[in-house]
Amino acid sequence: MTLPKTFILKNSQKYKHAHFAFVLSLALTIVCFFNAYDYQEGLWSVSWSIVTLAYLIGTVLQGVLIQLLKKDLRDKGEIQKRTRVLSTLQLLGITVGNVFITAFAFRVLRKEESIEYTLAYYMLLTNILIFTVSLFNIFKPYVSNTFLPSMSILALFIIFSLITVIIFGKIDLIQGGYSKLKWLGGVVLLAGFTGNLFGFVLGYSILLKTVIRDDSKIDRWNKFWLSITKNFTAMLGLLFVIFTFSISVISYGTFVDRFATENNYASMLMEPSLAYPFGTDDFGRDVFSRIIYGARISLTVGVITTIIPLVIGGFLGALAGYYKNTLDNVLMRILDVIYAVPGILLAIAIIAAFGSSTTNLIIALSVGSIPTYARTMRANVLSVSNLEFVEASKALGESEWKIIFKQVVPNSFAPMIVKASLTIGTAVIATSSLSFLGLGVEPHIPEWGNILKVGSMYLETNPYLAIFPGIAIILLVLSFNFLGDGLRDALDPKLD
Amino acid sequence: MKRLYVLLGAFLLILTGCLNTESDVNEGGSGEIDSGDNTVEILGMGSNEDDLNILRDQLTKNGFNVKLNIQPDYGSFTTQKEAGNYDLALNSWTTVTGNPDYAVRSLFTSEGDNSLFADERADELINQASTELADEYVETYKELEQHIVFDQAYIVPLYTSYKAQGVNHEIIDESSVRLPKSRAAVWEAIDFTDTSKRDTEPLILQQAIGTLTSLDPIKGNDGSINTLNTNLYVRLVNLTDDDEIVSDGSLSLNHTIAEGNEEYYFLLRDDIEFAAVEDGTAVNTGELVGAEDVVFSLERAKNPNSVPDHRTYSLHENMEEISIVSDLSELDGDTADGRTIREALEDGIDQEIEALTSDKTEVDNSSGVYQVVKVRTTNPFPQVLNYLAHQSGGIVSKEQVEKINTYEVEDYDVNTDIAYGDQSTVLEDSDQENTLYASGPYIMTYKNDYEAHFVKNPGYMPGTDYEPNISEVIVRFIEDSDSALSALRNGEIHILNGVPENKYDIVEEDDKLTLQQNESNGVTYLAFNMEDKDREIATNTELRQAVLYSINQDDIIEYYHGNKMPAVSTISPLVDTGLKLEADSDKVKELLQ
Repeated sequence: MTLPKTFILKNSQKYKHAHFAFVLSLALTIVCFFNAYDYQEGLWSVSWSIVTLAYLIGTVLQGVLIQLLKKDLRDKGEIQKRTRVLSTLQLLGITVGNVFITAFAFRVLRKEESIEYTLAYYMLLTNILIFTVSLFNIFKPYVSNTFLPSMSILALFIIFSLITVIIFGKIDLIQGGYSKLKWLGGVVLLAGFTGNLFGFVLGYSILLKTVIRDDSKIDRWNKFWLSITKNFTAMLGLLFVIFTFSISVISYGTFVDRFATENNYASMLMEPSLAYPFGTDDFGRDVFSRIIYGARISLTVGVITTIIPLVIGGFLGALAGYYKNTLDNVLMRILDVIYAVPGILLAIAIIAAFGSSTTNLIIALSVGSIPTYARTMRANVLSVSNLEFVEASKALGESEWKIIFKQVVPNSFAPMIVKASLTIGTAVIATSSLSFLGLGVEPHIPEWGNILKVGSMYLETNPYLAIFPGIAIILLVLSFNFLGDGLRDALDPKLD
Repeated sequence: MKRLYVLLGAFLLILTGCLNTESDVNEGGSGEIDSGDNTVEILGMGSNEDDLNILRDQLTKNGFNVKLNIQPDYGSFTTQKEAGNYDLALNSWTTVTGNPDYAVRSLFTSEGDNSLFADERADELINQASTELADEYVETYKELEQHIVFDQAYIVPLYTSYKAQGVNHEIIDESSVRLPKSRAAVWEAIDFTDTSKRDTEPLILQQAIGTLTSLDPIKGNDGSINTLNTNLYVRLVNLTDDDEIVSDGSLSLNHTIAEGNEEYYFLLRDDIEFAAVEDGTAVNTGELVGAEDVVFSLERAKNPNSVPDHRTYSLHENMEEISIVSDLSELDGDTADGRTIREALEDGIDQEIEALTSDKTEVDNSSGVYQVVKVRTTNPFPQVLNYLAHQSGGIVSKEQVEKINTYEVEDYDVNTDIAYGDQSTVLEDSDQENTLYASGPYIMTYKNDYEAHFVKNPGYMPGTDYEPNISEVIVRFIEDSDSALSALRNGEIHILNGVPENKYDIVEEDDKLTLQQNESNGVTYLAFNMEDKDREIATNTELRQAVLYSINQDDIIEYYHGNKMPAVSTISPLVDTGLKLEADSDKVKELLQ
């Protein structure tokens, strides 16, 4: 039975992706356009005009591609070669940082969706972005001692990822017979240690399909990752999260921490320039370097304050759910007491009592969200523990602890992961808010909330001081939310 | 592929050629400094975060390991300070009386109210300077600064501040708004651009603190009441914008110093009457502010046991006797400039002194019946006039205060006894009666958590230049300086005293606002913890000097865009001793070894 052509068009992920990329590219074009014109002087900035033009061309081309896609899908039911060839041009978008149309172009270039191919080109994009951002350091008065070696390694990674993209653009691991590629898998896995987590996932995926070759595992893996890789918003979220994580690892080699932490009274409150892409703050510190350094704290605190309640809340919830006659009431009522106190208020109280430091901040933010995780876990365990396989384990005389942690918990964990990925964003915001209020990390430490706090004092005279850290916070939170939505789609059995 | 490698190689070569690395740059400099175990703990408040950050940066660069202890408010800051949990505490001091003695006595003598350290040499120098006149004491104060700042390094001076005030010139006539260096705002002079609004529109001002210590002038000396009490009570003398002592706008028509600098005479005027509040508005009680009230007010000001919780007696301890002069012949004595006291007092007065009286009901200046008050100090102490110009020297009504303060000071119970000037008597919806008697241009009718409401004293110098222009004044309590600035910009308040340095541009760029600036007597300094002898900082003078020479005042002034001035001690804004603190990192290294 052939599907009606309009149905294909409506359901085409690629067509939706094309629209999404078009809208974002258009928005960026407009932003660049406004940057290119100086209202006070009435002058056009040459460099910004070139960037605007490049974005404009990309956007127009994207518009043409949308029309072509529409025609292809409606008339032929599949994307034609001509459209693919044309989309190659969009790859050039990366030169001006337009990752949206580039990611789209990569996707359209391959006929069939492939997990390895998608991961490979996202790894490439991440590497290029990190390389470009790190490259801004050459405009500084001096660079770190390890700058050149680090940049060389990054450049090698770009070439390597490019090769990976080309390889997986041609072959498909599902067909088997590519056992030589296991070496490639090993190397890609190593690349993951630069913080580029796409490397980890891709490396594991290759090893899984070439070395382990466990069909049931491969099947589950493919189902999960195919759902994620098809979801362009989730991939975009993942791209930014991994970029942030990776740059905070790479920055140890490429950034000079003096620019971020030491006061320089000769260069206070300078407008954005090549040497100071986001300007300098009231102490003459480079806001660009500070935001990069701040990513470490924001991410670390965000992730740890999610993992701690996930583990503690998950453990307590599992116990409460499994021993529903004995422990349930006691545990849950105690947790209800904590739940009754607003999270941020509890955090402020804890910090006021024990003083402000990063450790206290993590504890303060973690305690408040234990009850919600416990509730989620309990609800899942309640339903899972009635299933037949649990009954079977009981009948076989398995110990209760083993039943809980080997049978029940793994089968109730999916909603916890979704919840965690959705709440990391909230944790990042909470960290920044507390710093903004002067209750988080110490004021001289570059943390996004701290940077924003300085910016808020100069909102009228030097707005860029608040705009850039603000954008960083928004993007990271948005990315985690996109990713969380993607994970929910991939893990939620009800949507199958 | 090969071509790519070639390109990459070339690119790397170019990069290596052009780029300086961190170690290249550092080779020329002093290299890495060993921070060792020179840990210093700095205590400060969240509102001084910027200063603390600069200090941390400068001390770190000079090889110290800095720990910051930032407290959110003044209360917790004081708690930490009293517990001694610091090596250095960030403080500021404003000499509200405008005289150098006050700038040093409280902080640097071993007996002072806010004594920072005990040093016999310092005590000696301060006492010596207090007996000297302006041209003599410069040398003494220079010696004092050399001793306490450079030789002993008890304090680290940071900067002297400016005062800045934003005025909405669309509503307020900016030339009528004064910005004095020391004294509080002069409300009676302020006028609207449209003078027809004087009786219909209120003048709206701002103050940060809304909890008032006390409206009895001697029971408080802080930001919550200084401005309010200055406008509630008249004093014997006033300070000009540059801290000169004058009789203008005060209770005295003239004042003079008798030869020997121990006796001070004040010729009182007869056109100030006390105001009281009845049915929410000010009424003239018809009671003259006379010499009996002056004697009563100053006697209680210098007596530590006159009221419970007396906060200002140390300012007035130098007065030995306050009396009413009834013998006209006493005025024939000489002043320092060779005139008689009588000539000095009659200078510029229309009606000559015919008779003196010690009963204020008999006073009639137009027919020559005057009152003269004499103040005698224990030692020659010319700066006593500055203390009389301070708000704590405000004149209260003898009759009214004696009527209200019926309790015995020893048995005073804060829960049952309501003292004169207690905040609870002026609260809106309070069950207590408003018992204020104002001798100044305005009287407070009520206050709540958001604002205090004042009306003009109908008996205050009517028909003269000093008669208050605007009938009604509202003081809004806005704690956050950014909110206060917004309030000024959107017209919610008319004048904002204390515009932050980094907001000067905003005020200047606003079409309807004018920024007024004057030097202030506010000095910000770091005090070492000299109490806790277990801390190395209290016993090791070299270590303290190392901290002192690590501080670069120029950098701090640069940070404030030049809107601060260098300081050497709290006297810097008042006396130019010619000393200067220069940062010297070589000296720091030497001292640390």
